This record gives sequence, C-alpha cells and structure tokens, in this order.
Amino acid sequence: MTVRNTAPLSRGTAAANRVRRWLSVPIPGLAMGLAIGLALAVLAPIAPARASPWHNINVAGSVPPLAFHLTDAATGKMVTAAAFRGKLVLLYLGYTHCPDVCPLTLHNIAVILHDLGKRAAEVRVLFVSVDPDRDTLPVLRDYVALFGPDFVGLRPDANALARLARRYRLAYSVQPKTATHPYEVTHSAAVFVFDRNGDARLLVPSLAQAHPDLSGTAADLERLLAAPQIGWLSRLRQLF
Amino acid sequence: MVQKVMATELPGTAAGPAGPRLARAVPVGLLALGALIDWLSTAFPTAMPVWMPFDFSWFAWLGTVLPLWWYWHGLARLAPAERPRRWRQVAFVLGMALIYAVLQTRYLYLAEHEFFLNRIQHVVMHHLGPFLVALGTAGAPIRAGMPAPLARLIGSRPVRAALAPIQQPIVASFLFVGLVAFWLIPAVHFPAMIDHPLFWIMNWSMVLDGLLFWCLVLDPRPSPPARVGFGTRAAMAVGVIFPQIAIGAVIVFTGHDIYPYYNYCGRFFADISPLYDQLVGGMVIWIPPAMMSVIALLLVLNHLRLAEDRAPSADAAMGAMAARWTGRPAGGA
Repeated sequence: MTVRNTAPLSRGTAAANRVRRWLSVPIPGLAMGLAIGLALAVLAPIAPARASPWHNINVAGSVPPLAFHLTDAATGKMVTAAAFRGKLVLLYLGYTHCPDVCPLTLHNIAVILHDLGKRAAEVRVLFVSVDPDRDTLPVLRDYVALFGPDFVGLRPDANALARLARRYRLAYSVQPKTATHPYEVTHSAAVFVFDRNGDARLLVPSLAQAHPDLSGTAADLERLLAAPQIGWLSRLRQLF
Repeated sequence: MVQKVMATELPGTAAGPAGPRLARAVPVGLLALGALIDWLSTAFPTAMPVWMPFDFSWFAWLGTVLPLWWYWHGLARLAPAERPRRWRQVAFVLGMALIYAVLQTRYLYLAEHEFFLNRIQHVVMHHLGPFLVALGTAGAPIRAGMPAPLARLIGSRPVRAALAPIQQPIVASFLFVGLVAFWLIPAVHFPAMIDHPLFWIMNWSMVLDGLLFWCLVLDPRPSPPARVGFGTRAAMAVGVIFPQIAIGAVIVFTGHDIYPYYNYCGRFFADISPLYDQLVGGMVIWIPPAMMSVIALLLVLNHLRLAEDRAPSADAAMGAMAARWTGRPAGGA
C-alpha cells in the first residue's frame, strides 16, 4: 500500500517538474517566435513580388516613398515631392551631355506617354541631373523641353543629389577631365515609378536596351493610373 | 579628445570619485557624438571623409562604440591576471574596426554597387571581423565594463536559454552556412539590397551569427566552461567549408546574371561586366571562407594543445599521445 501511495506522489512531483520545465520554455520560445514572426512580416513583400503580373519589377513596400528638395529648371525655384502628389511620377537620373542612354530612355518614355493619350497629363517625368556643374538651369530646361511638356528637369546641389542617390540606391559618378582622361559621367539606368500617393511602385530596369518593353510599361502605367488613390496598407507601410 | 580624458582619468576608476561620474558621462557623450554625425551625414553627405558613416545607422554606431568603451573601461577594472593578452586586445579592436569599416564608412556605397565588393563586405562582417573579435576573448572585460543591470540581463536565464539552441553545434553550423545561402537566393537578394530595413536585417544577422559561431569555435578554454569540446569545434570549423565552396561554385559556374539588382541600380566599376563581377563574387565566397576555416582549425588544435599542457597529469594516455606532436615529454612537467 505504501509503495502504491508513494508511486503516484513521486510521479506527481515528476509531472510538476515537467510542467515547470515546460513553463520555462515560453519566455525564450515567445521571444524566438516573435523574432521569426517579425522576420516573416518584413519578408512578406517578397512573395507577392515574385508572383507579380506586372511587366516591370514590383518594388511596392521595398523602396522609400518619393522625397526630395531640388531646383525646378523651368522656374528656378525649389520644389519638393509634395508638388507632384496626385500625379504618377517617373524618376530618372541622367545628364544632358549623355550621348546614348539618357536621350534614348527619355525618348522611349515620350513614346509611352504618347501611347497613354490624354491620361499622359496625369504623369510627370522627373529628370534629375547627376552633372549639375555643366547642367545649368537653362541647359536643363531646354533639354527636357525637347521630349515633351510632362518632362521636368531638376537640378540638385551636390548634397541633395547624394541624399537622393543614397535613398534610392542609385550609383553615379562625375570625373572631371584630366590630361589623360576625358570628362566622364556614370549613372544608373533604372527608372522608378511612384503612384499618385508618392509611394514607390515599380522599377523599370532599362528603357535604353535593344528591345525595351514599351507597351508593357505603358500597360503598367495605365494600371497604376486606374488604381484608387490610396490603400491603408501602403499608408501603414510608410510608417516603417 | 575624449580618449585623452579617459586615459588620464581611468586608473583612478576604482577609488576616485571622478571614475563613476566619467563612466556615466561617456555613454552620454557617445550618444551626443552619434547625433552630431547623424545630422552631418544627412545634411552634408558629400563633405564626409571616407571613414565617416556613409549611411548613418544608430544600431551600427552604438553597436561599435559602446562595446569598445565597455571593453576599455572593463579592462581597467579587471585584475591584471584576468585581462586578455595584448595580442588578443589588438585582435578585438581590429575586428570591431573592420566591422565598422564595411558597415558604415564609404565602403558601404561600394558594397551596395558591385557584387564582388558586396561579397567581400559579407566575408568581413561574417568571417574576418567576428573571427578577430572572438579571438579577443572580450566577454569578461565587456561584462566588467558595462552597466551592472545590462550585465545581469545578459547572464540571466531567459537570455541564456534563448541562446542555447542556436549554440548547439549542428544548429550553429547550419545557421552559419544557411544565412550565407539565404541572403544569396536571387529572389531574396534583390529586396534585401533595395529595401533599407531589410538591408540592415541582412547585415546584422550576418554580424551576429558570425560572432556566435566564431566565439563558439575559438573559445580557448576546455569543454567544461566552454560550450562544446575541442573535437566538435574542429569539426564545425571544417564542416562549414564544403557547403560554402558549393555555394561559391554554383555562382561561379552560373552562365547568366542572377543578381540583376547591380545592373538596375548601377555598378561602381562601369567597365566590369555583370558576369565577370558575378564570377569574382563567387570566388570570394569559395576561397577566403575556406582559408579562414583552416586557420580556425589550427587555432582549435593549438587551444587543445595548450589546454592539455595546463592539465598534463589528468590523463597519462592522452599525454603520451600528445607527446608525439607537442614535442614535450609524456606525462608533462
């Protein structure tokens, strides 16, 4: 009898110990679960990006919203991103002395806008000079006017340009002429597309390659123009 | 300037009233300095010298300067016998400096715009930097130098319980290689490079994992105080070689550009073709980590030899066996 009595008792303390051991798991377990959940929440944008039916690369939620402080070549006045709220914005970095990539890209954007017809009035193409020393305001103004009324030339000072490039992870460099080397400017080929709320939506890899996807890009822009102005999800994302 | 003040004041830490006051003032000073650098790097990015933060991060700033300060402060508090040897101190500071260099200085811009430079950044922040930090055996001085509540928190049961599973040798090795592989998956690499918060998660996961792994492998003590035995540590150092070679080889022999991010956002070296950049990047994953592992293996064997020298009579058979390659008489002195 006594043996029978102690057996459940000791089993009871063993069970209590097991419970205690299991209870010690929750705190680190919860912390790890929280960390994994947080990682998943951050990584979540990757999944829709892969299944994207867009013709260009979906960067919604990955790239910061439109923000800058630059001089408008047409007016000579400072403008910020707020001036372009309500418009679909294409952001591109280049320079007016560019022999090939910039004129071709801007020309192809002009073709796309032509395809959009009347809706093109709701689009603005921001051409930011990476070579502001040579691209003075009149030079820049006359250059963008060649491509159409929706093209805006923006001239940055060196620090504003560095901030903008850092924000959108864009590479650029200007090497003034030396005895042995010509004046050389490099810049990225990408065009970022921002919706009417100023949120980054698409990355157009290059419109200066042999066979750029003009009709696909036009379709993407039309889709963005047709979309309702605001989503609570993108507002929430902007907080981070 | 701050350095000079500390150099003259610190010896009096234990007794002098200036000590504790200074200990409280330094972190505040570092915060203020961080705020100043943050403002400068935002307002005047082009005026920053190359060694100053290119893209200021509070986490990187405090994660570098606070441990360095705690380490320095803690060294003075420890008894001379408890302090790490001079070469270990140098290794610690060098490791911290290297991690800062690839995460904050203008090098960050290069790492964002050239695949092989990005891979070098990862080798430094996952292998070389944490490797040197681990050689520094900085645990004791840092714990002695940090605020007591924080030191208690680090040594507390929940924190140790959370660390225990990822310090398990197989899990740690899997994490070490798995993180390298994960951030290189093309569908992951693109958002990780272009998304600022994700970029920092990638970088810090690499740094922290590197620290955890190398501290586990390069612990100079024998197994009872250290987490795992010398044999397991040697196996870990060697085991991570092969998957990393495989990852490097896959990238080297992929015939097309699988990381278009660098094309979209622009390469630092405009003359280097995407495929060549990718090939060199693959080589960086393939070769230097394997070399680091071999060095780690030699260090583990040396730690084993030293540990056995310290306890020579514990196991006569082991002593006799060790005599063959330590060159010391069997049974020890």
